Amino acid sequence: MNITEHLQRSAALGMGIGMLLLLVLSSWMFRSEELDLGVQQRERSAVLQANALVLAVADTDAVATGARVRLMQQQNPQIESVVIIAGTQMLASTRAEDAAPRQLRREEKPLYDLSNLIRTARETNLGEEVVRKKTIQIDELPKGRLVVTLPYLSGGEYAGILQMQFLVAKAARESGSGYMSVLLLFAALLVGALLRLNAEKRFDPAKLLALAAFLLLALFYQQQGQERLERVMMQDNRAIAAQYLAAAEQYDRLGYLPLRRDVAAANLWDTDHYQRPRGIIAADGSVVAEGEAKQLAQRAGFMRPILWSIDLLAACVLLLFIYGYAARAYAAFRKHLDAYLYVAPAMIGMLVLVFFPFSYGITLAFTDTTLFNESLPFLDRLIGWGNFRTILGDFNIYQETADGFIWNYQNFYWTLMVTIIWTVTNVTVGVTVGFMLAMALNTEGLRGKAIYRVLLILPWAIPNYITALVWRGMFHPQFGVINQVLQMFGMEPVSWFDGVFSSFITGLATNGWLSFPFMMVVILGALQSIPKDMYEAAEVEGASRWQRLRYITLPLLKPTLIPAIVLSVVWTFNMFNIIFLVSGGEPAGANEILVTKAYKIAFEQYQYAYAAAYSTVIFMILLVYGFFQTRITKATESF
Amino acid sequence: MAELKTKNHIWLHIGLISFTLLAIYPVLWVLALSFSGQQSVGLIDLPQDPTFLERLRAILPVPEHWSVKNFTEVWTEQQFGRWLWNSVVISLMTTLLGVFLACTAAYAFSRFRFPGRNLSMLAFLVSQMFPGTLMLIPLFIIIVKQLELGNTYIGLVIVYATTSIPFCVWMLKGYFDTIPYDIEESALIDGASRMTIFWRIILPLAKPAIAITALFSFMTAWNEFILASVFMESEANYTAPVGLRFFVGGFSSQWGYFAAGSVIVSLPVVALFLQLQKYLISGLTAGSVK
Amino acid sequence: MKQPLRIILVAGTLLMAGLFTAAQAAELVLWHAYRGAEKSAIEKVAKMYEAKMPGTKVATLAIPYDAYADKITASVPRGKGPDVFIYAQDRLGGWIESGKTVEPVGFFMDEATQKQFLPGMLDAMTYKGTVYGLPLNYKSITLIYNKALVKTPPRTSTELVKLAKSLTHADSGRYGLAYWYTNFYFHAALMNAYGGRVFDKDGKLVLNSKETVASIKQMMKWYKQDGIMPTEPSETLVSSMFNEGKVAMVFNGPWFIGEISPSVDFGLAVLPVIDEAGKKPMRPWLTIEGAYVSASSKQKEAAYDFAKFLASEEAGLVLALEGRQLHTNAAIYKDARVSNDVVLKAFHEQLSSAEPMPNRAEMTMVWSPATTAMNKVVKGNATPEAAIKEASKAVQDSINALRKGR
Repeated sequence: MNITEHLQRSAALGMGIGMLLLLVLSSWMFRSEELDLGVQQRERSAVLQANALVLAVADTDAVATGARVRLMQQQNPQIESVVIIAGTQMLASTRAEDAAPRQLRREEKPLYDLSNLIRTARETNLGEEVVRKKTIQIDELPKGRLVVTLPYLSGGEYAGILQMQFLVAKAARESGSGYMSVLLLFAALLVGALLRLNAEKRFDPAKLLALAAFLLLALFYQQQGQERLERVMMQDNRAIAAQYLAAAEQYDRLGYLPLRRDVAAANLWDTDHYQRPRGIIAADGSVVAEGEAKQLAQRAGFMRPILWSIDLLAACVLLLFIYGYAARAYAAFRKHLDAYLYVAPAMIGMLVLVFFPFSYGITLAFTDTTLFNESLPFLDRLIGWGNFRTILGDFNIYQETADGFIWNYQNFYWTLMVTIIWTVTNVTVGVTVGFMLAMALNTEGLRGKAIYRVLLILPWAIPNYITALVWRGMFHPQFGVINQVLQMFGMEPVSWFDGVFSSFITGLATNGWLSFPFMMVVILGALQSIPKDMYEAAEVEGASRWQRLRYITLPLLKPTLIPAIVLSVVWTFNMFNIIFLVSGGEPAGANEILVTKAYKIAFEQYQYAYAAAYSTVIFMILLVYGFFQTRITKATESF
Repeated sequence: MAELKTKNHIWLHIGLISFTLLAIYPVLWVLALSFSGQQSVGLIDLPQDPTFLERLRAILPVPEHWSVKNFTEVWTEQQFGRWLWNSVVISLMTTLLGVFLACTAAYAFSRFRFPGRNLSMLAFLVSQMFPGTLMLIPLFIIIVKQLELGNTYIGLVIVYATTSIPFCVWMLKGYFDTIPYDIEESALIDGASRMTIFWRIILPLAKPAIAITALFSFMTAWNEFILASVFMESEANYTAPVGLRFFVGGFSSQWGYFAAGSVIVSLPVVALFLQLQKYLISGLTAGSVK
Repeated sequence: MKQPLRIILVAGTLLMAGLFTAAQAAELVLWHAYRGAEKSAIEKVAKMYEAKMPGTKVATLAIPYDAYADKITASVPRGKGPDVFIYAQDRLGGWIESGKTVEPVGFFMDEATQKQFLPGMLDAMTYKGTVYGLPLNYKSITLIYNKALVKTPPRTSTELVKLAKSLTHADSGRYGLAYWYTNFYFHAALMNAYGGRVFDKDGKLVLNSKETVASIKQMMKWYKQDGIMPTEPSETLVSSMFNEGKVAMVFNGPWFIGEISPSVDFGLAVLPVIDEAGKKPMRPWLTIEGAYVSASSKQKEAAYDFAKFLASEEAGLVLALEGRQLHTNAAIYKDARVSNDVVLKAFHEQLSSAEPMPNRAEMTMVWSPATTAMNKVVKGNATPEAAIKEASKAVQDSINALRKGR
């Protein structure tokens, strides 16, 4: 038995690679979480001190404010400096070179702008009755420096900003256990090496055993990691509580203490960046059990799906190996290298330029990003499936009123229906007209073919921005050509954009007109691949023209016609311009299609994430269509 | 077919002429506007209780006064010639790159059976499915921010070529499928390499399909407006569609200039089509090689 | 086929090389969306600034309006883009809320600069108490009439209707008055006359009010009862009709002047007083373009100084007289060349009853529902009350979705 065969029979390779992947991803995940917790702890401690100082100087005069700020800075070595800015004035500063109070200098514009930003944030939160703007700004500077800026209040009113610079050493933490990972990897390899796989059997007990052992090890490792994080968080809470008590005592001693320290009160020092109490540490310095439990649950809830995805990914890798897919894929790659090389250049361009934007869009769909919060960190905006639930779960398709029932044109399913009808009719019109013209122009011995062809591609050649305008003008009820023609023949003029159906017709006519030249050209090209002798042979055998069309032309057109139809379905489904320029979705948005709706949501309502979710739904619909269409057409491939 | 030839195709001509007239009617309005020397679309002018003939006269797209002012203004007001040149270069580069990459990929899809083939075919199709409205910012990040290709031809060419490749690949693959395999087989037996077969046999046979994909790639690049205006950072590098859009949008719209510009912009497309259409008529067809 | 590929590669390499070797001289980059006379004027002003400040280079870039906002939104927050850009106030709120786009300039602005502007102009550049730009020019609609058809322009709505009725012959497509009345921007002039508002001063939506409803009823009276306006108006329809002498009076803005055919002798007048609204004047919205310093500019002070120059009297005269812009610098209207200019003078007079359009980001959400409401009323599918109520609800929903708490 040589080594390759041996490897195929044992699960060691799969277990090893799968476990390595799992360990690398999970430990990277835990590591970044821990770093994040470290940063948060630093910031939280700084915010605690900043909140305390702001409250301590809230109701004092300028001289006392300056004195208190200086004293606090001197007594706490990690506070490097404190400045208070009001408008264009620097009210107080602990830095000797500042010589406060004084006017701000030109290079200190960022301070002035920051004070305006924080004032606006505070006013916005108060005025809109929802809290959405951070009133505490934190900047990390190099070399462990941290700057906290928050509103400086006087008599309960906004009076400026207070900015503190801290120099905080990184919290010392027990380092993670590296030996555990090595141990687990070893265990996985061992289990893998001991198992003998049976390649023929689908439900081989050895395979199941390998999977079970793998998952067990994985869950064990992740559980350990989770518990470690929880321990860190609980320690951090206690550290903050201790710091709070020490600071409160210090303020008490100096006689600045502005808060009551009974249990019931919320702790106004330990706040989030919106200056809301976190509810984890009470005013008496004790840790609130529910608050902490909530905090832990929140973090765990955030971690869980990510860890599960890692498990799933690693398990898939394991399965690939133990079921031999990996080996087969490798062999196939070696064998068909030529083919892959032919496809690679186009594929790489595609991957970079198409799939990155896709993943960008799809990721966006799982957040609640809008114009107002797009500057927040990504994780703060992540919400999961919410947007999709809102879109797909809205079944308010029609309403019953006194005059019967009214369609709700804003509903997703109405728009989907319109989009499908729009696509089907347009492609049918385009293909039928294109096909008939191509057949006509392919007639042998027809004179003036070149002239017809050139004239007939004009609708495609002229920028559709202007032809759409002309079409829109042609449908004007009073000055439009179409109503004039109707009147020439004694018919009544039609208000084209007033009715759902007639407005739909305007779009259909315009888009049909724009798309037939493309289809005509494609079919003309495809007709060239049909050998003439086939027709001649058929004619000799007495086939009628219909029979020749049905049994020669159509089947032989298929290979080129089907891709053209599939693609034009996709394009028409997302045909933004024509709807937008001709009917504009009139009346009352009844003729919007999904893509124009997505556009409006993104650029008129600024709900970027919701629009991305809409686009993702469009994408999924088309993906399902494309999948089934290619399944069906595969059967018709010529070889 | 023989009996058709003797009939001189009278009915076919009548049908084609009437359809062509109908089809170019909106185009005639664009022409009328561009030659009117005015900025607003002409309205139908009717006396009270018009007769059939008066209505007919009213709907004929003929400008009141003929003038080439719109054309001269469009050409001289800004560097339209330069922009047209940029468009030509970018579109031709897109066509070459797009068709070349598509040919090789389509050949592999048509002639090789390899694992992942269907998936890759689907991947090309999938790339057309995501609505473009949200693609601007990610494309900006890649092309301008990461690759530093803002304000260059190459940046646009890469984007346009990848946009047109999926259609080209599918179209060409379908066409290659119709070319009988026995031609290649005999060449393979004669000792020709895959490369030689591809260049010497397949590509010449696929001329009609290549002509169509070339036209399509060209049009993709030729009419694109938003990416070109976002990626380019100097007026000298704008393309013709960008230049055209200066006349409309915002508060005021100079539709006369826009129409004249549109006519100018569509001329190269017509010229290209005239060049390419000889491949759509006759030449070597797959069957006649046998 | 191999040859072209090589050409592509060579061309690409050359281009790249050219891109990297082109020395980036320290220059100020200005973006705008002008063409024609406005473009020449702004380029001339840039040259004037270069002459005034030796060693400074100003590069201007014109961008088609339809791509302009997208271009700024894509590039500036990613550290690219201009030092100064010119845009109307309608996008300002959105850019400020999303951040990293517009630099606040209140800190730089001295008192003399603040006082140089016409009343209301700086308000449009101020968002939640912070100044973000220097106002450059304003646009509003006014009454434009065909002198061949109208001898003296109407001063009140009663006069307007009487005159317009005498000029309307619907059968042959002739009307007394035309404006894009289904477009909420144009309608706002009537709404403001009645005292209707979109937002109150705290940013609360107050669109659904009896004043707004009354203003729509007034518009419907002109359209239905008096029959003095054509159906399905649009920008192109209004300009075509005016140029062909089919409509005697239009409500339109300075942008329209360039579209008027040379064969039409036109006059301008202040929009009429609405008798039905207690003799209050129509108050159109002002669109005010400002010069903003880009948040990604590397030379913000120099950028501000240039923007300040654009807003100065010296530049204002060039922009007004050659660019045909209504500059915001109050001093230029004392210049004889400006005060004797019929068009500039007329729009300056309209300014006394006009108000800045809101610059809140939420304003963008109003247009589409409001215009849908107007269309529904015009087509008789809804009463003004019901239509406005529905529109107001739609806008409120969008606003709530945007102002989500964290």
